Amino acid sequence: MTATVQIDLPEKASKRKRNLLDFADWSADEVGALFDTADVMAQVLTRTIKKVPALQGFTIGTLFFEDSTRTRLSFERAARAQSADVISFAAGGSSLSKGESLKDTLRTIDQMQADLYVVRHPVAGVPHQLARWTDASIVNAGDGRRAHPTQALLDAYTFRSRFEGFDGFEGKRLAIVGDVLHSRVARSNVELWRKLGGEVVLCGPAPLLPREVAAGVRHTHRLADAVEGAHAVMALRLQRERMASGLLPSVAEYVTRYQLTEEALAMADDHALVMHPGPINRDVEIASDVADGPRSVIEAQVASGVPIRMAVLYTLLVGKR
Amino acid sequence: MRSPSAGRLAITGARLVDGDGDHGIGDVLLEDGVIQAIGEGAGAGAATVVDAGGALLTPAFLDLHAHLREPGQEVKEDLASGLAAAAAGGFGTVVSMANTTPTVDEPGLVAELVEKAARLPGARLRPGAALSHGLRGETLTDFAALQAAGAVMITDDGIPVANGRLMRSACEYAAELGLVVQTHSEDPSLRGDGVMHEGEVSQELGLPGNPDAAEAVMVFRDCEVARLTGARVHIAHVTSRRAMQVIEHFKALGAPVTCEVTPHHLTLTDAALRGFDPVFKVAPPLRSEADVAYLREALRRGTVDSIGTDHAPHTRAEKERDLMAAPFGLPNIEVAFPVLYTRLVRPGELELADLLRLLQDGPAAVMGWPRPRLQAGAPADLVLLDLETERAVDPARFASKARFSPWAGERLRGWPTLTVVEGAVAFRLEEGAG
Repeated sequence: MTATVQIDLPEKASKRKRNLLDFADWSADEVGALFDTADVMAQVLTRTIKKVPALQGFTIGTLFFEDSTRTRLSFERAARAQSADVISFAAGGSSLSKGESLKDTLRTIDQMQADLYVVRHPVAGVPHQLARWTDASIVNAGDGRRAHPTQALLDAYTFRSRFEGFDGFEGKRLAIVGDVLHSRVARSNVELWRKLGGEVVLCGPAPLLPREVAAGVRHTHRLADAVEGAHAVMALRLQRERMASGLLPSVAEYVTRYQLTEEALAMADDHALVMHPGPINRDVEIASDVADGPRSVIEAQVASGVPIRMAVLYTLLVGKR
Repeated sequence: MRSPSAGRLAITGARLVDGDGDHGIGDVLLEDGVIQAIGEGAGAGAATVVDAGGALLTPAFLDLHAHLREPGQEVKEDLASGLAAAAAGGFGTVVSMANTTPTVDEPGLVAELVEKAARLPGARLRPGAALSHGLRGETLTDFAALQAAGAVMITDDGIPVANGRLMRSACEYAAELGLVVQTHSEDPSLRGDGVMHEGEVSQELGLPGNPDAAEAVMVFRDCEVARLTGARVHIAHVTSRRAMQVIEHFKALGAPVTCEVTPHHLTLTDAALRGFDPVFKVAPPLRSEADVAYLREALRRGTVDSIGTDHAPHTRAEKERDLMAAPFGLPNIEVAFPVLYTRLVRPGELELADLLRLLQDGPAAVMGWPRPRLQAGAPADLVLLDLETERAVDPARFASKARFSPWAGERLRGWPTLTVVEGAVAFRLEEGAG
């Protein structure tokens, strides 16, 4: 027999959300309630029998137009740990996507009558488009360079759990270093961190930073500026293709100017955490000793993935109607 | 042949307006494709009489920029549907773009289009022909032979001419023949894979941006080539403040440059992409509010020579793909006048006379055609406009095959109720529409 999870959602989250596309229509309180749910889920995952019947009878479809074994497995684990049925569509490169309109693709898949789709697509906006055409819930598992909201949730959740003496996001500064322009992780983290009341500094070479600066966000090309006083420093993966496409001169130059090293971190807050959305290029955007060092919560980020995604699925499918 | 009008057609009690001004209420009598008589009581004795009831009668519009998709892309549009759609929008003459399958780069293809269109009702076709074979930007087409077959304009529209040397040769050759070269001016490498205007909104949406510099740089080159060669260069669909300022600079120098703006670039901004609907994906892209404001200013100042629709029909399914895969372009020829009349003229941003000029005398001057006038002996190409009745845009009723619209459901005024081309009724609004 499996145990039933008792979850008390705060009063303010009384209206059930249908989708998680980005954080545009999510309030800080709703995100806070989701974190509380994730705490319960994390507790479930420490039990001998890591399964609850919370989503029994629900069907969840993972719809990945772009390969991502890690994210897909994390969602599937989150679904199965709550006893949901899972159907996986690996649509990338198959006849499903070739020359067919998205709407026709969805219409075919919708015959499976899933209650919720987890969608990843190389092009921004596809989860929004699909949400217009189906009654099922949509969870954005990454669309182009636009958004990766569950990654941002697990990053903030990790910070909340691991930052010593955590007393809220107000006044907490997140520094994101690297290829911000092409990063959906960066974009979602900026959106969420600002929503929760924190400050954000973006750092990288000019061709990899957006030209436009959003309200409450600072840009800098100097790593020392970004790190100084930061409570969390997140390094982003540097794609080799940025050199091939002429955006950057060389890996060596990038390493010299932007690699997260112990020395660079010296000016950060005493309790600063080091984060990375993975997979890491050791000794490119982050020095090995930093990645494996005492400030690093990179493994905790990975471990937060399943409880956060359990909480997202639960909130969207059951929540409090 | 276009079916001749059954005897004489009269339009009575219309407010007569053309590029010479407002001539008050009167009648016109049409026969043999021309205006036979005009003025008070001129309509007496006609076989068919249309009572205009005081609506505005004016020369039919000229569109120097429409994608009619024939040959080869008839699933999007064909000559019959495209010319019918043009007539429904009040256009009597349409210049078709050459980016079809195959490309209109051979005299035989031009002749076929001319011949086929002559047998169709709707607007009159004046085909454009490609500048380079297959729009590949490598070798020049036979301009003289294309012109002899009926082509009125040389253009690779849809694809910028990346090679400056080829552009120069094209202009030298066109100047010699008196042909207008129309350009799609965007620097391909600066544009990159941009699918919308680069700015705050593209950053917010995470979509690859296409900076205004991509347009301004290429407009500058094309203007310099016009100055250098003396060719008449018509810059299609100008979208940005920077590009318009470049054109103003060259016009002040006396370079033989003219330019066009579209109804959508005058009324929509990049913010429209916030809903992630590829209907709003056009090239060049919808720009910022400041750009739109500048384009409107340029209309008022007279920098803009013509409004071209860049009517670019696609199938619904093509526009239901993701934003990278969906094609650029939107259909608008049927709503162009109502959109601009409602959004610009009614709020007082633009005089009605200026809007009419941009659709009549303006494009005629760009092409070196006679200015359309309401006078005896002039071609009977006319449109009757109802400036009062408000109707919702209903794409399901479009004559175009592309039955979707950025303005779907919007209530607009200024609908054409009757379009006459060569004396024959090319469009008549059904009673009870809207």
